[in-house]
Amino acid sequence: MKVLVLGSGGREHAIVKLIMRSTARPRVYVAMDYRNPGLERDSVNSGGRAYVVNTVDANSIAKVAEEVAPDLIVVGPEEPQFAGVSDLLRDRGFTVFGASSRCAEVERSKAFARMLMWKYEIPGRLNFKAFRSIEEARKFIEFAGDVVVKPARQAGGKGVKVLRDTQAYLSRDRAAVKRTYVEKLYTEMERYRDIDYKILVEQRVEGVEYTVQVVTDGSYVLPLPAVQDHPHAYSYDIGPETGGMGSILGPGVVLPFLTIDEYKKSVEIVKQVLDALSKEVGESFIGAFAGQMMLTGLWGPTVIEFYSRFGDPEISNLIPVITSDFLEVLERAAVGKLAGAGLNIEMDMVSVVKAVAPAGYPDDRAAASNHRVAVDEASIRKVGCEVLYASIELRSDGVLYTKGSRIVEIVCGGRDYEDAYRKAERAVQYVEILDGWPQFYRSDIGSPELVRERCRVAERMRRVYTSRAKRGMLGQMLVWVPGEGVFENPLTGFVGVSKP
Amino acid sequence: MAGLISIYAFDELWSVSNMVRYGLQALQHRGSGRYTVCSFDGAVKCGAGSSLDEIQQHASGWFSIAGIHSSDSDTAIDVENGGVRIALIVERSYSELESFARSLVKNLTSRGRVDEALTAVVEEHQHQVPSFGAITSRGEAIVYRGLDGLTPMVLGSYGFDMAFASSESVAIEILGGDVRKFLLPGEFVYISKNHMRISRVGCSNCRGRLCIFELLYVARHDAVVDGVSVYGFRKKLGSRLASNFDRKNEVDIVVGVPETAIPYAVGFAESVGKPFELAFVATGGRLRSMLFQNPLEKLIAVHLKMNPVRGVLEGKRVVVVDDSMVTGATMKTVSQILRFRIGVEELHLSIASPPLVGECPHSVMNLDVRSLLSANLSEDVAGKYLEVDSLTWLSLEDVDSVARTFNLCLCAKCFGAEFVGCR
Repeated sequence: MKVLVLGSGGREHAIVKLIMRSTARPRVYVAMDYRNPGLERDSVNSGGRAYVVNTVDANSIAKVAEEVAPDLIVVGPEEPQFAGVSDLLRDRGFTVFGASSRCAEVERSKAFARMLMWKYEIPGRLNFKAFRSIEEARKFIEFAGDVVVKPARQAGGKGVKVLRDTQAYLSRDRAAVKRTYVEKLYTEMERYRDIDYKILVEQRVEGVEYTVQVVTDGSYVLPLPAVQDHPHAYSYDIGPETGGMGSILGPGVVLPFLTIDEYKKSVEIVKQVLDALSKEVGESFIGAFAGQMMLTGLWGPTVIEFYSRFGDPEISNLIPVITSDFLEVLERAAVGKLAGAGLNIEMDMVSVVKAVAPAGYPDDRAAASNHRVAVDEASIRKVGCEVLYASIELRSDGVLYTKGSRIVEIVCGGRDYEDAYRKAERAVQYVEILDGWPQFYRSDIGSPELVRERCRVAERMRRVYTSRAKRGMLGQMLVWVPGEGVFENPLTGFVGVSKP
Repeated sequence: MAGLISIYAFDELWSVSNMVRYGLQALQHRGSGRYTVCSFDGAVKCGAGSSLDEIQQHASGWFSIAGIHSSDSDTAIDVENGGVRIALIVERSYSELESFARSLVKNLTSRGRVDEALTAVVEEHQHQVPSFGAITSRGEAIVYRGLDGLTPMVLGSYGFDMAFASSESVAIEILGGDVRKFLLPGEFVYISKNHMRISRVGCSNCRGRLCIFELLYVARHDAVVDGVSVYGFRKKLGSRLASNFDRKNEVDIVVGVPETAIPYAVGFAESVGKPFELAFVATGGRLRSMLFQNPLEKLIAVHLKMNPVRGVLEGKRVVVVDDSMVTGATMKTVSQILRFRIGVEELHLSIASPPLVGECPHSVMNLDVRSLLSANLSEDVAGKYLEVDSLTWLSLEDVDSVARTFNLCLCAKCFGAEFVGCR
């Protein structure tokens, strides 16, 4: 059997590792944007090979596909989906695991995703406003309060500004930042020609984040265990937003801070969204889909955004715990025969993933690029962990160089968090930037203390949403403007209220 | 005692000016109104003053360090070495400040790794360096908690946008942030444009012990110090104090000396089953009488705190609870007011700490042994001077066992013990 995997990073390396274990002993081919050393080696070892090609260029990919003639193509990242790569491959008769461009709209356009949730009244939806023009956005932001300002298009998991605005004495400073940021973001978003809405302003919520990933063939939905990503660059949830500095999974399908009921509700939300999506675009969703969720006091399980693919690094957490034939799952989804499929995992194991990044990531990719790296894979394995290669390139001089994003992901399984955490902490020491340029990773991810802290926050949120549910207030946030009435508009803030 | 706040915005869109103001306001109780601030907006700029309005004008750009102190000397400096400027604000007077600052900037520029630089300089200064905040003209910020651990340092954040470090958790909350970590003794945070790291300065003989006064007196009731709720700790000491009081059934009312002693009195009252009442209302802001160095200023602060509430206490047998007794000036004032102006029947004084007998060897607290009441007056004379019917203290053993239940390790040199707690 031949499988062609599209994509260049840690997520694709995780997918390759998972499918290579299949009893079908697939020959794995990879189409990637640069020479990822892990993808190159693993594909060659499986009897396949790797192609370096522009992965958002549908015609180039089709050419590779025709040369390889694979039994299955797995589209890893979202950008090729947006660019119509899955569509063209399906048109050419290939069996493809990966969302069509119309289905991928649910990730590409955050405005579309929110509108879908409101139109179909799906629980866990947040109040929002989306803007096509800077004039509209400018006008609205003057009155905005406790909000999150986001790019309305998926932009590599960055550009989100969470602006807690619950202190009137600091609201003017926040208003000033909102104004400037909206202008800056709009300018950045203008380069995306494939989208109407540029900016999204959304109700701010707080709580504990987690991701619920599923695999679907368009009718049957197979949920994967919940995973928690850590978006802040630095330890203790400090610093700028990244694509994810690490993640945890287990034990079992839920995380220690999540109840089975909350997990089931989250899966239900994801299913409802998939249903609504296929009604809306008139196509079945075939591939991986994920809800980036937060357990909030407002709703309980609440949607922050969606991925039309596996999460990165979330998919990596499956490696130590999954016992099913993952390739079979992907293949059955791609051919519409997923019904009845199950997923076996080691129920009493947990997994911890940690990314290592060069200083400069995420805000100064140029500074973070072109540093020589050494990865002592043998020692990492000795500790009991695996390494996934991400933004790292093998150049013709035979040396590995950083490409500006996360260099590698270290994946460790263990019987509990203490065990997996200890392994991960040892394993990260075997990744080294050789020219003295600083590197970083998050030492707090997977630590029993952090897991306990998440449980405390979740418990607080649980008390709030349970009490709101009793009062029939789930999802509602009322504002009273004396003389005008009671509204449900949590987007307006102090500055707006103080205006005559 | 002093309060430090550092604010670092990862996004240069922010101006920290207002945040410095409100951050310092939240730490006001830790000093007596002498402010310093240093900011970075491409260059390092410093200013000092005694009003928050004034200080706010000196704060600009996207990161700042600021402090409130009770003394002007050796608490802030700004020096240049090899083209790099460093501004440093320390949490208490430090006579080696200039040499430390010069050596730090020299090491930061000559050594590649900040861990090595800081470890070397701290070692060079015999591990005596107090907690500090620093910024450099290269756009770096460093926040350090002293190896002695005498005063706390808390790390916080605001969304994806800012990092905060503060002597007390309350400032982070007042700035709309989330408390993220209590730095350990010797731990430091280094932030530059592209990088942040938390690391620890090594020292084999160093024992970090929090100053007992941090929990007894300095921190606000709403603060969390090294993971411990200050209010919870104070209430617990109050109820322990009640168990040393042997006239539980012969008193009517429990009151606390404003405002630090209120939680102790609440814990005491709860424990003896007598009502807790308000006895005094303060005039003006919250004045920390103990932190003033000038005796007249100190008395002014005491007197302004003590206008009595009438109508409830007259003719009653009253327990007055206070957190500690230094010179006894506060208690003398209280007893005079309660007796002459209110006319209480009996006055029982309960102190939620042991007798103070020594000076602070770390110059964290400004204690002069010649004016410490319990170091100079016998119990009998003290009772007569203060005009109280009884005087109850906590023993060192009491404080030790309460500190243990909170997993605290406290320096108690001024109470005549090396430490309390430290399980």
